[in-house]
Amino acid sequence: MIIDVSVNGIQRHLKSRNGDRLVDVLKKELGLSSLTADCLQGRCGKCLIFMDGRIVHSCLIPAFKARGSSIVTFEGIAKKPEVMDIEKAFQLTQTQPCSFCHTAKIMTIFDLLSRVPLPNEDDIVEALDMVPCPCSDPIGLIQAVKLAAELRNKRKFNREA
Amino acid sequence: MKLSEVFFPQDVDEILELLKKNPDILLMAGGTNIVGSQPSRIIELPEQVASIAKVKELRKTIRTEQFIEMGACTTFTGLLSLAPASLPEPLGAVIKAIGNRALCNIATIGGNLCCRNRFLDLWPFLSCMEAQVEFRSPSGTRWASVSHLCGEDGEPLIPKASILSRLRIPLYNYDFVYYRKLGNSLYPSADTAMFVCMANIVRDKVEDFRLVFSGEKAFRLKDKEMSISGKKTTTPKREIRGFIAEYKKAFETMELFDSRPFTALLEDVFARLFL
Repeated sequence: MIIDVSVNGIQRHLKSRNGDRLVDVLKKELGLSSLTADCLQGRCGKCLIFMDGRIVHSCLIPAFKARGSSIVTFEGIAKKPEVMDIEKAFQLTQTQPCSFCHTAKIMTIFDLLSRVPLPNEDDIVEALDMVPCPCSDPIGLIQAVKLAAELRNKRKFNREA
Repeated sequence: MKLSEVFFPQDVDEILELLKKNPDILLMAGGTNIVGSQPSRIIELPEQVASIAKVKELRKTIRTEQFIEMGACTTFTGLLSLAPASLPEPLGAVIKAIGNRALCNIATIGGNLCCRNRFLDLWPFLSCMEAQVEFRSPSGTRWASVSHLCGEDGEPLIPKASILSRLRIPLYNYDFVYYRKLGNSLYPSADTAMFVCMANIVRDKVEDFRLVFSGEKAFRLKDKEMSISGKKTTTPKREIRGFIAEYKKAFETMELFDSRPFTALLEDVFARLFL
């Protein structure tokens, strides 16, 4: 079956079998290296994508369900200034997620800050629950998200020094 | 492996046409339970599947003063995005505990209620709250109580060749809400179950008492609920112990779960409700 879908703004016709998971099709057909199909149960968060604007686990979605959808992966947001804010906040707080969950954590923070510009600790903990990789110090991560929100708002409203 | 045939109906009439041709077709909205519970790389699906998540009719929400009515393909996030006052307690907390945001963005209320091999988290609450569901089939439309999704044997009873199209939840808060989830796996397993009790306290009397336990099977004693409703909160302990013993005996007879955690929760509920 051919699935017509927009991936990172480009219209694609992806080949898939009806039992294929979306994460596998995106990796196989488009070689998207940010995605990992690890747990296949929506636990690890390493397959997070935006589908029609909502963050979802692509391992839990049969590929056929993506028909007519708009998908954005980490590759589609990597160069956005919002992601630069998050990377800068990681550096400044010396919080560096491991290579397995780095992109997934950025996806969750990107999603959180686009919904809640000034998140509180509960919002942050709830969002980071999507990627429960224990590589980084949770307190450092919360500080990094708060700083990313601050950097984002400064940039957005021209309050940069 | 035999590949399944996938259909993409655009409205409920097209779904009904598919159901008429094949009553066994799998209607898939979120599909999280079906997909997430399979450890294999390739998802095993029945011969025919209809992808219904994008059917607009199944995503509409209506709110009146008495109830909130929503399409079965409303996702948990969609439900949570309603104004907090629109959602009776404790539904919001229950949905948040089902899974993380990325899961709640896919999982639907219809999928949660239509699991054929066990009861998932929403059913016991909606059953206690006397929520209603609309079923549409090629032969017509009917509304039924959510409690009717449980057969006489206590197992899920999802009508064949029909679609659960809408859910109506009364906007009514209970004075006493008690619930515990047993088991801690993300996807339901043999040790997962829900214990829910709701009641109102009116002038020192326990009213509208409801108690549901559900896992692979469901347990509810409506006649016992009737006899407890109306009892004073100061009812003698001996009489309360009698209720507990009757519940325990009926539960053990059904052999649906280890009776020890059930008894402990039952004792806790009665200790909190009755002085």
